[in-house]
Amino acid sequence: MRFKASIQNINTFTKLTASLNSLGPLAWVKLSDDQVCFTIIPEQGTQVWAVLSIDTIFETYTVQSAAGNVINLEVPLTSLTRALKSALNATSAQIRLTKKDNIPLLALTIVTTSASNSYAAFPTASANNNNEDGVDAPFDSAFGGGSRETIVTQEVPVRVLGPDTVAGLHEPQCREPDVHIILPPLLQLKSISDRFTKLALAGAKSGSGTTAARTRLELAANMHGCLRMSIKTDAMSISSVWTDLNNPELDPNQVAGGEIGLAEHPSTRMKQLGTADGRSDEGWASVRIDGRDWGKVMSVGRLGGRVIACFCHDHALILYVYLPNENGEDESVLTYYVSSYSA
Amino acid sequence: MVVLNFTLTPEAASKVHDLLLCLGKFSDAVAIEARSSRFTFTALNSSKSAYAALTLDAHTFFTKYECIPSRGGPDGRFTCSISTKALLSVFKGRLYDPLGRDGSIDRCEVSVSDKPSQTECRFIIKMICNQGVIKTYKLTYEAVEVMHALFDRNVAKNRWSMHSSAVKEYVEYFGTKTEMLDIFSGEGDDAKAVFKSYTEKISNGKEVLKHPLVTAVAVNTSDFEEFSVQPGLHIIISVKDFKAIAVHADTLKTSLKAFYSQPTRPLQFSYGCDGLACEFTLMTSGDYTAPSSQAPTPAPAVQILSRENSRPESRTRSFEMPPPAEPASASTSFRSARRRNPGSRQPAASKPAAPDPDSLFVRQDEDERWEPLEYNQDEEETLGWDASAEHDAAVFPTFRDSGSLARTETEGSGGGGGDGGGSTEVVAPTQRVSQIKGLW
Repeated sequence: MRFKASIQNINTFTKLTASLNSLGPLAWVKLSDDQVCFTIIPEQGTQVWAVLSIDTIFETYTVQSAAGNVINLEVPLTSLTRALKSALNATSAQIRLTKKDNIPLLALTIVTTSASNSYAAFPTASANNNNEDGVDAPFDSAFGGGSRETIVTQEVPVRVLGPDTVAGLHEPQCREPDVHIILPPLLQLKSISDRFTKLALAGAKSGSGTTAARTRLELAANMHGCLRMSIKTDAMSISSVWTDLNNPELDPNQVAGGEIGLAEHPSTRMKQLGTADGRSDEGWASVRIDGRDWGKVMSVGRLGGRVIACFCHDHALILYVYLPNENGEDESVLTYYVSSYSA
Repeated sequence: MVVLNFTLTPEAASKVHDLLLCLGKFSDAVAIEARSSRFTFTALNSSKSAYAALTLDAHTFFTKYECIPSRGGPDGRFTCSISTKALLSVFKGRLYDPLGRDGSIDRCEVSVSDKPSQTECRFIIKMICNQGVIKTYKLTYEAVEVMHALFDRNVAKNRWSMHSSAVKEYVEYFGTKTEMLDIFSGEGDDAKAVFKSYTEKISNGKEVLKHPLVTAVAVNTSDFEEFSVQPGLHIIISVKDFKAIAVHADTLKTSLKAFYSQPTRPLQFSYGCDGLACEFTLMTSGDYTAPSSQAPTPAPAVQILSRENSRPESRTRSFEMPPPAEPASASTSFRSARRRNPGSRQPAASKPAAPDPDSLFVRQDEDERWEPLEYNQDEEETLGWDASAEHDAAVFPTFRDSGSLARTETEGSGGGGGDGGGSTEVVAPTQRVSQIKGLW
């Protein structure tokens, strides 16, 4: 079993693991010849199934195993994120699977170069004193010569999962969505949902009901570019409505049944209902989600991808987060499965 | 009767803040030893594995310094112990601010009132602020004997020195929650020094994934200002102590020097500038049967000289040393001392101005706004109304459109018109609901 790669895009990788870490501490990482999959299946809350093309984060990538060159690992995300953060200013970073004392681990080797005189940019009296007998030192400082190369090794303990362990893990199946819509900037969405949740919790101390029931957000969208987020408690009812959002067209080649399938698609029917100003009561597909869990999902916004939300009325909300990439091919997608509470 | 008066510039006062912050990582109480020529803060941790002595020079560190101990003549000393927290709440952060913003001071005057005629002995600190405001703090202290750890640099043949900013940079790579730091000097031509932070605990099964990160930072020995360590030597100290030292040394922007002989023998870190000399003596562990100790008095180890010529250090320093008996009890007895003087003005043992411990080591980035909100922590900040009108109904009568103005509800508890204090607070509605039309 061999896995070795150099990390091409440390920033993206760090943001990815940080986002995933907010949903759960452990990730199932599946390394194969053509893609890298990160899956978080928390005991409760939202699942994430991320499929990345190799070159989104890695280059010079090798993976070999007896099981068809696929390696399945269970990785603690907090440690991995911490390790990756130390590579943010690195000149190069490598990751490989290795074993120490019979414990498998992912070893990151990070090379950083910093100017040796970086601390002498504002020389202090004491720094000058130290240099009095160092003949070369003043030249070093003056010409910026010499740099410190430091090699940092971070070892993240992991667990290797056998093929039979992961065989039972399947991506959730869902019916065709009623409404699909491109979400507004996630930072905006997050700050509003955080606000709502906070307000609901502030009231929770005095009122009745469990907090879980109180932080329930209702998220709804129609096929006319509207998104509505609302929260209702005994004491209040607030909602925010976005309009003029985009409902992407479905590609007939991607829909089961082609043109006919498209004509019978639930979203085609939903297009007949509702209005673009969001005032009509008709045409909304809505889900009830937990505000805290939603806050964790929104953490993915740091990756800056385009997000399409698919609403299955009263059933589930699926977010597809497309990571920005240069060449436009082999898109990397993070899929979030948020299930709807029944009431 | 002791005379101890000194004055600090804002810069010096903020250095006192920095050093207290560092000593706070070792012990709850700092011991103070004042002599006519110097003033020393010392701290010994509870496991007695780390001892810190930070010495302020009477002439260079202070603008004015006067110390006449009650006995012992010129070699006499005044010693006491004060809670680190109490001192930190006086020597707050940002005492020095060239722009004179909030919290900055003009100077700091300290004196000790220890007169037999007075019942109270206090450590008095006056912060003279820019707007003519004088804040006076009177701290209780406990008279203790101050101990010093003995460290003989002649025996410590292994030594290195490096700029603190580089050391701090290395420390930042370490994962959180690790316990040990192994300082290793490599062998061979292209030798490197390795700082490895790890945790000894070995766990199995699922627990393995909770094992803290193991971080090894390999540094070219040529990046040290001086590096003269026996190749192949491992020496192990606590990573927490090392972090505290590296962070404090970095506030002085100076070189950090290390002196040690072999595992299980003490190691000393030393640095300082501008009249402040810091020495930390730490207990080490490691395999002392390793190659290093085969020559128990190590012959001068291979000298690896860096750009800066290392000058032969011929300093012979040894401290007087009664065996380290401990001010560990100091913290508890300090507390009892405080209880005995309930009337004294104690600075609230408020949270020291210590920043979030993580923030020292973890990159603070704009990424944070993406983190899920911690709703539990900031509940207190939330300004909210209690719209439920349920549980306080008896205290604040609700009014209703019955004409009785809710007196019915207070009558029971108020017990009649005479002490109807509660009902006078009732604000009558200006209008009856029945008079309002078309609103609902």
